[in-house]
Amino acid sequence: MDAAMLQPRLRDAFGTRVDVAVRSPKRLYVRVDAADLPEVARWLRDTLPGCRLATSTGIDLRDGVGLFHHFAVNGSPLVITLKALLAKPEPHAPTLATQTAAADWIEREIHDLLGVRFDGHPDARRLLKAEAMTGELPLRRDFDPGAFKERSGERPDF
Amino acid sequence: MSDPTSSHVIQIGPFHPLLEEPVGFSLTVEGERVVAIEARMDYIHKGLERLAQERTYDMVPILLERICGICSVTHSVCFCHAVEDLLGVEIPPRAAYIRTIIGELERLHSHLLWVGLAGHFIGYNTVFMWAWKYREPVCDAFEMLTGHRQNSALPMVGGVRRDIPDEYFPQVRRTLDELAGQTARLTAAVLDDPVLAARLKGVGVLTAGAALDFGVVGPTARASGLATDVRRDEPYAAYAELDWDVVTQSDGDVFAKAVVRLLEIAQSIRILRQCLDRMPAGPINLGTLHVPRGEGIGRYEAPRGEDVHYVRSNGTNMPERLKVRAPSFVNIPSFKASCLGAPMADVMITLAACDPCYSCTERSLVLARPGDAPRLASPGLIEASRQKTFAIARSMGRAPDLDLE
Repeated sequence: MDAAMLQPRLRDAFGTRVDVAVRSPKRLYVRVDAADLPEVARWLRDTLPGCRLATSTGIDLRDGVGLFHHFAVNGSPLVITLKALLAKPEPHAPTLATQTAAADWIEREIHDLLGVRFDGHPDARRLLKAEAMTGELPLRRDFDPGAFKERSGERPDF
Repeated sequence: MSDPTSSHVIQIGPFHPLLEEPVGFSLTVEGERVVAIEARMDYIHKGLERLAQERTYDMVPILLERICGICSVTHSVCFCHAVEDLLGVEIPPRAAYIRTIIGELERLHSHLLWVGLAGHFIGYNTVFMWAWKYREPVCDAFEMLTGHRQNSALPMVGGVRRDIPDEYFPQVRRTLDELAGQTARLTAAVLDDPVLAARLKGVGVLTAGAALDFGVVGPTARASGLATDVRRDEPYAAYAELDWDVVTQSDGDVFAKAVVRLLEIAQSIRILRQCLDRMPAGPINLGTLHVPRGEGIGRYEAPRGEDVHYVRSNGTNMPERLKVRAPSFVNIPSFKASCLGAPMADVMITLAACDPCYSCTERSLVLARPGDAPRLASPGLIEASRQKTFAIARSMGRAPDLDLE
């Protein structure tokens, strides 16, 4: 199934709750409300055999934090990206980790680096941020590496 | 419930000079059985995604070659795929063949490295010595073609930076001919060895359902019967024009993963020979490209499985965001499915079977009753793993190593 065939099926299933953009036969971008992420993700995995969460991306944008879930389909070139915009200052979204194990680590990573809270995540501990970082969110645009180095006692670059 | 005072935590990692990346694993064991496994990933978080946002599209591939000590071609080409997806361009045929050649040479030396390490972990040090000996000429061929054993500095958005000289192809072909005979002998010896079969079959099983749930990729997925390979699913470079097979196995155990990698070595040699024979002439890149606003997703079949890069551009000469998902990021958590309930002696080889970028060192932590509990560390685990092999070999009346001569 290519992106153009999937587009009407997504519209049939979710109506105006999804905003589907087909960029190429193998790339589909679907804008949804954060609250709808688990339902649409479940639908994708039930509808497309071999569909798995490949990874997720978090981006600090002007209007919020962008949360993109990228789904790949085994045996197919198709990549479906679910996009949700999470409002700052406390961005949060429902977790996918309760429906697929693949979401576990990547949601913890996004929590570490961008401060997105994943509601209902079964094990939301720190995964890979340095221990010296407490409140810092290193992938936010307002993160100041110099100030962090000074606070953590590291010698500044010279 | 078992007696909680009998449960111990064994720390594997985080540092070992043999392995390319530090990762810490904590195994909770009760007696011989593993009841919980935790991983710690934060030792060398280098902030590469943020660094990439401060470099131009021409500089980023050079940075990304340094993500991994093995997968230098993987990450730089995957980034190029993402930007080329954003731009909607096709690279020139000669560039496609060059990318295929360096990618398959990388797969060869990576798989041979794994075969050697796997042998080492179960006490087959002959396999270790032979596999790494076979690996050396592959790295030499890589150096001959690109100027360096690991980092080619070739991939760029829209093609490759430099040409590779055709006059070296006969020498590379000779290397492949030798390697084909050597690895065929190694593969046959491993597949026929009754001790290895008894030691590795049924160990560390990852079912097809769990493989899909964890989203595992590459040989880890293919050994569980999932026929996924980006080279065929979303053909890039020259793969669509070449004759080769996706190798799958159905058992999902360590033996199946070894078989997949060993057979893939033969496929890589097959692909390389065709590339050398058919190498087209012509331009090797598209020149300087302006990257407009937009987003793109690149995928690449690394030796360990699907690599994914997401690139977002705001129209400047640097990416606004680069997301890198290496295959081990999804393969490592699947240990939760394949290690739990396993005997301790099988843990090292089960962890190694995913070919993770993980490492081990002599560190030990005992939670319950400090002082009187046995202290264990990764050398103890490797020793336990070897002793199990030796016991199986003895019970079969065989020497516990391969006969390759």
